[in-house]
Amino acid sequence: MKTITDKASEQNGNMQRGFFLSRVPLGHYVWALFAVIIVTIIGKILTPFFNLTNLALLYLLPVLISAVRWGRGSSFFAAFLGVLAFDFLFVPPVFSLTVNDARDFFVFAVYLVVALVTGTMATKLRDELEKAKQREKRTLALYALSQQIAAETDLRQILKTIVKTVSETINGQVSILVPDLDNGVLHEAASYPPQNTLPDDKEQAVAHWVLEHGQSAGKGTEILREASELIFPVKAEDKTLAVLAIKLNTGEQAASLEQRRLIEAFTNLAAVAIIRVKLAEEAEQVKWLAESEKLHRALLNSISHDLRTPLASITGAATSLLTEGNVYTQGAKEVFLHTIKEEAQRMNRYIANLLDMVRLESGILKPKTEWCDIQDIIGVVLRATKEILQGRLIRVNIPSDLPLVKADFTLIEQVIINLLENGVKYSPSDSEISISARYHDKTLLVIVADPGSAIPKMEQERVFDKFYRLHATKHISGTGLGLSICKGIIEAHGGSIWVDSSPEYGNRFIFSLPVSEQPPDSQADTKEGEGNAV
Amino acid sequence: MPSEGARILVIDDEKQIRRMLKVALEGNGYDVAEAATGHDGLNQAAIFHPDLIVLDLGLPDMDGIEVIKRLREWTGTPVIILSVREHEDDKVDALDAGADDYVTKPFSMGELLARLRAALRHVAKTDDEPVLTFGELTIDLARRNVILRGEEIKLTPTEYEILKYLALQAGRVITHRQLLHAIWGPNYQEQTHYLRIYIGQLRHKIETDPSQPTYIITEPGVGYRLVIRD
Repeated sequence: MKTITDKASEQNGNMQRGFFLSRVPLGHYVWALFAVIIVTIIGKILTPFFNLTNLALLYLLPVLISAVRWGRGSSFFAAFLGVLAFDFLFVPPVFSLTVNDARDFFVFAVYLVVALVTGTMATKLRDELEKAKQREKRTLALYALSQQIAAETDLRQILKTIVKTVSETINGQVSILVPDLDNGVLHEAASYPPQNTLPDDKEQAVAHWVLEHGQSAGKGTEILREASELIFPVKAEDKTLAVLAIKLNTGEQAASLEQRRLIEAFTNLAAVAIIRVKLAEEAEQVKWLAESEKLHRALLNSISHDLRTPLASITGAATSLLTEGNVYTQGAKEVFLHTIKEEAQRMNRYIANLLDMVRLESGILKPKTEWCDIQDIIGVVLRATKEILQGRLIRVNIPSDLPLVKADFTLIEQVIINLLENGVKYSPSDSEISISARYHDKTLLVIVADPGSAIPKMEQERVFDKFYRLHATKHISGTGLGLSICKGIIEAHGGSIWVDSSPEYGNRFIFSLPVSEQPPDSQADTKEGEGNAV
Repeated sequence: MPSEGARILVIDDEKQIRRMLKVALEGNGYDVAEAATGHDGLNQAAIFHPDLIVLDLGLPDMDGIEVIKRLREWTGTPVIILSVREHEDDKVDALDAGADDYVTKPFSMGELLARLRAALRHVAKTDDEPVLTFGELTIDLARRNVILRGEEIKLTPTEYEILKYLALQAGRVITHRQLLHAIWGPNYQEQTHYLRIYIGQLRHKIETDPSQPTYIITEPGVGYRLVIRD
């Protein structure tokens, strides 16, 4: 019995103290003996002045001192020693343990009872003090932990800090398991010391039980006590958010009540932290939803306006052509027909932009990169925009030694088309638009410049926002989609896009594409004349 | 000049498109049959014996590419694909599966008619034309020389092979894969950067402005086409 208690107090270290302090060094008993000797000497000196009963009270002093300073064992030791010394040295006949007066037995008995009770109470008081000190230490540990995790917003980091602190405080393997949102399967979110082995089925089963019932279970508890781990719920109100699994390094020993209280305090802290992070995430979600709702409203406005406008022209022109009788001249009919064609093309471009934007927005649009020759792309753009350009002067300046760039041909084509269309739309119809390209420091720059009125500095970044229209040019029909799509596409390529405006030269829309690698050897055959030699 | 009385089968599930195509094609002197589904289209192809098939890729009952594959099991009748921009990949797959050309919806009738003519001409063409002429560009296959505005231009063997391959199928789109396979062989079908480099070089030699090519044009995401001047 005794050895087990010994072991327990040793294993649990400063957390628990056995009532019988068998481990107390012999020194404490020597000190108790010493105290009794001193009191005896003092008693001898005072004998002439006091009667025997009064002197017996003196022997309570070493009992009290021993109890407070060295614990219950030494206080009991002092009490018995005191009785012996008193009997031997003071009670007549002196220097004999025999007692003449039977009343003296009564004094001994009262003394012993008083001594034992005082000793016990004093020891208890002392233990309470010890416990209070321990509590203070733990409170400090909890406080320090709460301080550490208060500023942290990353849940994973918070859980890591928690398991580390718990592990260090109670000396064991600690891990925190979090249920998956979709299927409820528990997976390890953090563990300390870091372990590679996954919890086995039995541990999983206990953990699931804890998650479901919100009560601690496993080793040393009422429930599923045969498990090797002790598992605590991390609860906030009625909901179990996670479970904390603990395997003490002390092997067979179960956790003490004190340890379990401490762990519960830690789990409460963990629950608060998890709730806090979740609330922050929810707030973020709400903000995102509000923004996407704003976007949806803008999208609906755009669809109803930008699709209906060309439809109105088409319907008007077509119904005019279908009018009975010869109301319109051949020239007028031609105008109607061209209106139908042009407005249908405008609608097609708008739908293409709308689809691109929705794809960018939902993340479906992923660049399918291949090696591209920027000159080739610009050639395709000029071909595709021939009708929209309506004979506008376009100056192209592309050095012939530009490297190939990894990009999505059709998406970059779309970017340049949008920039060119903007240039045509927002500059005088007799002015020149230029497209140029440059290679500099592993970056390919493409510049589309128009001499239109400069975009104010305040609005230079906002023009790339979805549905944003410049105040000065709101009268020109447009959707506010083109540039935002350009931005989305270029950023998906790892490049950037910006505008450089000045009253002197108008607007220069510039985008960059990273040229991080070169194509593998192209088996260049540059020897001319062999192919077409006879 | 449209090929007089050429028979065209239109396979498209959209009634409006079929109606419009029938009127327009008949107006241009073609003989038109219609089918609304892939199965009906395959049947019609066997009964009607068309000279050319216009096929929409988005059919309700079967994949357009599947239709091409089944057609190619027994006939080489030219097939022109109608597709929407959203199905770029399907377009390339269809061409690689044996379709002859494509037109993206919405399309202009002029564009479709040009494709029809090119495809029909290709069928009618005999193989022993030693000299091919495209505007100011002449390719003499027998002498292996290329003349631009009366002057011989020097091409590397690879450049010449590319030009020759495109010229022999002038007016039709050639996919990257087809061109790479034909010039470099089956192991180089993914090396599109070869094409970017050689087509770039070729344009610098034959085009007046390589940024605005008039002979070899790029079909974005698909391939190249040597333009026929009608």
